[in-house]
Amino acid sequence: MTLSTSQASADPPAAETRAFSLADARLPIAVTGAVVLAIVLVYTVGGRDPGLVTQSIVTGLLLGGVYALVSVGLTLIFGVLGIVNFAQGSMLTLAMFLVYVMGHSFGIPVYVATVVAIPIMFGFGWLVQLLLLNKLTISGNENGPLLITLGLSLLIVNVLLMVFGGRPLSVPGTVDGSFTVLGALVSYERLIAFGGALLVALLLTLALRKTSLGLAIRAVSSNSQGAALVGVNVGRIYALTFAIGSACVAVAGGLVAPFISLTPSVGEQFTILAFVIVVLGGLGSVVGATVGGLVIGLVQTVGALYLPGTGSLILVFAVFVLVLFFRPQGMFGAKQ
Amino acid sequence: MTDMVDKQVHSAADRDDPRLKDRSRSRAYLALLVVAVVLALLPLGMSDRVETIAVRTLIFAIMAVAWNLMSGYGGLFSFGHAAFFGIGAYTDAYLVVDHSVSPWIAMIVGALLAAAAGGAIAFLCLRYRLAGAYFALATFAFAMMFLLVVQNLEILHKTEGFNLPILPTYSWKMMQFAQGSRNYYWIPLGILVVALAGTIAFVGSRAGQYAQAIRDDEVAAASLGINALRYRLVTVALSCGLTAVAGAYYTQYYFFVGPDQGFGSGVSIEAMIPAVIGGIGTVWGPVIGALVVGPLAEGITSILRNPPQVLSFLQGLTGLDVAVYAVLLIVIVLFMPKGIYGTLRDRWRK
Amino acid sequence: MKPRPPSIKKVSGVVAVVLASATLAACSSSGSSDSKSGSGGSGKAILIGSVHPLTGALAGAGGLMNDGAKMAVADINKAGGIKALGGAKLKLDAGDSQGSAETGQSEGQRLIQDGAVALVGTYQSDVTQNVAAVSERSHVPMVIDVAVDDQILQQGYKYTFRIQPNATEMGTSGADSLAAMGQANGSPVKSVAYIHIEGSFGQSVFDAFKKEAQKKGINVLKEITYPATNFTDATTQVKEAASVKPDVIVDTGYFPDSLLVAKSVQALKPNIKALYGIANGAFDDNSFPATAGTAGTDVLSANYHYAATSSKVVDIRKRFQQQFHKSMETASVLSYQAVDVIAQALEDGKSSDPTKLRDAIAKVSVSNPLLAFDGPITFDPTGQNKNATVIVMQVQGGNVEQVFPTKFKTAKLVFPVPNK
Repeated sequence: MTLSTSQASADPPAAETRAFSLADARLPIAVTGAVVLAIVLVYTVGGRDPGLVTQSIVTGLLLGGVYALVSVGLTLIFGVLGIVNFAQGSMLTLAMFLVYVMGHSFGIPVYVATVVAIPIMFGFGWLVQLLLLNKLTISGNENGPLLITLGLSLLIVNVLLMVFGGRPLSVPGTVDGSFTVLGALVSYERLIAFGGALLVALLLTLALRKTSLGLAIRAVSSNSQGAALVGVNVGRIYALTFAIGSACVAVAGGLVAPFISLTPSVGEQFTILAFVIVVLGGLGSVVGATVGGLVIGLVQTVGALYLPGTGSLILVFAVFVLVLFFRPQGMFGAKQ
Repeated sequence: MTDMVDKQVHSAADRDDPRLKDRSRSRAYLALLVVAVVLALLPLGMSDRVETIAVRTLIFAIMAVAWNLMSGYGGLFSFGHAAFFGIGAYTDAYLVVDHSVSPWIAMIVGALLAAAAGGAIAFLCLRYRLAGAYFALATFAFAMMFLLVVQNLEILHKTEGFNLPILPTYSWKMMQFAQGSRNYYWIPLGILVVALAGTIAFVGSRAGQYAQAIRDDEVAAASLGINALRYRLVTVALSCGLTAVAGAYYTQYYFFVGPDQGFGSGVSIEAMIPAVIGGIGTVWGPVIGALVVGPLAEGITSILRNPPQVLSFLQGLTGLDVAVYAVLLIVIVLFMPKGIYGTLRDRWRK
Repeated sequence: MKPRPPSIKKVSGVVAVVLASATLAACSSSGSSDSKSGSGGSGKAILIGSVHPLTGALAGAGGLMNDGAKMAVADINKAGGIKALGGAKLKLDAGDSQGSAETGQSEGQRLIQDGAVALVGTYQSDVTQNVAAVSERSHVPMVIDVAVDDQILQQGYKYTFRIQPNATEMGTSGADSLAAMGQANGSPVKSVAYIHIEGSFGQSVFDAFKKEAQKKGINVLKEITYPATNFTDATTQVKEAASVKPDVIVDTGYFPDSLLVAKSVQALKPNIKALYGIANGAFDDNSFPATAGTAGTDVLSANYHYAATSSKVVDIRKRFQQQFHKSMETASVLSYQAVDVIAQALEDGKSSDPTKLRDAIAKVSVSNPLLAFDGPITFDPTGQNKNATVIVMQVQGGNVEQVFPTKFKTAKLVFPVPNK
């Protein structure tokens, strides 16, 4: 991270470590206000069909829920361990194929399979951190873990390719169909994914704030040496954090599998956006990642009304760079 | 990258002794000369098909040497070298195809543009104190933006890319020769040798010494009155310019460049991995890494095409070559953090 | 922090390592190439090289195409090889482009180096550009099975031939077919909204469609593009298309994105006569009806397609299914056809010399093509198959049926499509 250990001890980077003061809340409120204002402007002077705008907002929020699901896992890994986890997207793919296999070979319905996938991916993440990453993370190496996760990502994608081939596969949904809200179409599957995102964010926030494990994670995040001195097993906490991060991805994989075509490379597109969201939301901030996911989802869909195609993506990356420059701690990050 | 490079600090006397510096440098030049001569003679016994792999390996090597300048010696971990490779490749394509400029000139123009762009990006990142993972992510984001912008620019043919015209006559001026001509091997080899000589010179020079001092301890370096920003930008500009030269040669050799070939994130990875595998922050590491990575995929694919009896179950299995590559990367980072060359060098010293 | 001054011993060590790995690389590669050209040259086997994406994101399609080419070679050999050359057998050398242009190019060069007299490939337009440049410079003909960009044959290359229609032709005849179907069923199409993927493929199909549609009195009310990456929800795009109240929604794209479009059309239930794909990567794929479920029902698709009415094609596809346990898609049939075209040119020209083979391909006329084309496969001066055309398919009863024009039909066209 940008902070060396000595600075980190003085200034905890993880937002969850303290309650928000009014000053901390100023920017989130401003961002929310700006988003609302932008939406009002689009409706009033945007010159687009209001029904269409409503639809793009609904679509954007639902899409943002998916982004948030992938990002909350990443924000923990990035925030606590400082690992730029390039395998986040391919771990998502792995979870999707797990769900696919359970449904295809054993007839387990997709949402049940998702619940089964959570402990499996938890164990996977735990092993990855313990066997591949802990040595480097504890020694404070910044770029070694990035390279390892890059290799891991290539490995997962290509092993899946060797096993399943590259033809698109599909996971049958169990709750096909949709309903309309204010004239906008909402599919049940996407709504469930959205609800899942909020639930995961809520549970994680509670766990980080109220449990002793959460306390240990926050302690390690703000000062790993200090935490080790008071008897926290840093290596174990790292492994658990990575495991929780990949369990989040398991939820994401299971919930998006019914409406996305499965190929070994399908998850990779989420990796980059997830980084944008994590930085936007603030490192280690679960709330930030959730809000960030929703904002990016909205920018992409509402933006597409004016900048079709990749135009809205340029916007996303421009925002990303600006945030890096001017507010590296993100919307919900603690002020330095 | 501070953790993966040699942390050994030379004493001030050691560094300032001009005789010692000269001797070590002339030895490095001597080694370079020997390697260059040997590599230059290799094509005499080389088939066309080996040449295509050799050329690809050389392009990897140039990119890795360039990346190593900025990320190994400069300590600024770039994850977006595709931006500069793409600038080189597209400048060459645009000038050669649309304005019939000689590729040699296009190469220099591309290098200058990339050096300027890299300098500007690095200036912004350093001005706003981005470091480590944040710096890597910022460079990645810039490369992504370049990719998206090129895909939307009519003047650069959007997603279609550029086709280099096949000229009726071969010439050095237009850098076009018969398919399989050995010139296609000797040109990038020449570029690589110049780049390595430049690296050796840079590492020994005042600017290079300062750049490394800043990498190792910016505060200490600044307290000695070293203008950290200036020397970092010099390192970055050199690195980006050289990467662009590799890009321009890419266009010349492959006759086609599109957005993904120039600016795709795979290119950034290709610049980085040979250096990591060979040894970051060393002169020879990137070259050795490229010699491993370049022929690797080809070797595995040809084994898979006609597998020996034991491996016959692997025949036709797709994805294995990249999987092996991935495992190699993980193993090297885990067990040889200084890379192949760095680790072997340490062994010899003991 | 500079590296320690290397002693002479270390320098020589470095040199030794560099040399060793270089020679190792050279030996291992040249060794295998020697063995291959040996086996290719010793018998009478004529080597045909294929370049397809066997790894990477497109490996699924690439693998199918490779299998199609393999099967063509086996069939030709079983029928007695190339009779004009004394029953010489064919041999396929499969190259893997990994979906990347430079790998495709070096594979092309390798295959030619190994003695391939012709190349087949490559599925992707950018890879095809590279391989075409190789074949042009090496004077070895290349028969493109699948690659859609117009630009590929606009370089003035003499050695490149393409069997499938290009993007412009598909857009044009897509518009023609749409107008003709409306007329034939007494429900003329007056307006469309067009959704397509960003990039030259989608754009050139759309541009050609628009130009031809205007001539036929079809009004393009709206053009909606979406990005090739990070596209996971098509609801807004379909809603936008429906908002202008078109008669028909047209869609051009690849498999996953087109599937999303079909699902959104089903969910939004716009009042349209049909969802109509042109050069669409999903709608006439045999896995589409099962994958899309009810969203696929009655979806129309104008595309080049294997001739399901030909008994020869039925036989080939059946044997393919038995041998590879996969459905033989159109792209795979095209790879089969490409090898077939080369084989016939070898017969016609009575020579396996690449230059003479090129002249023979330029003059070839392959009757009864495996694709539903207007006539025999025969190439114009740019190398484009003159009779390449599209037909219209429709998903009916869980299958992709050919419905228009009538000479290729396997089922009756349903148009306008009843509202679901």
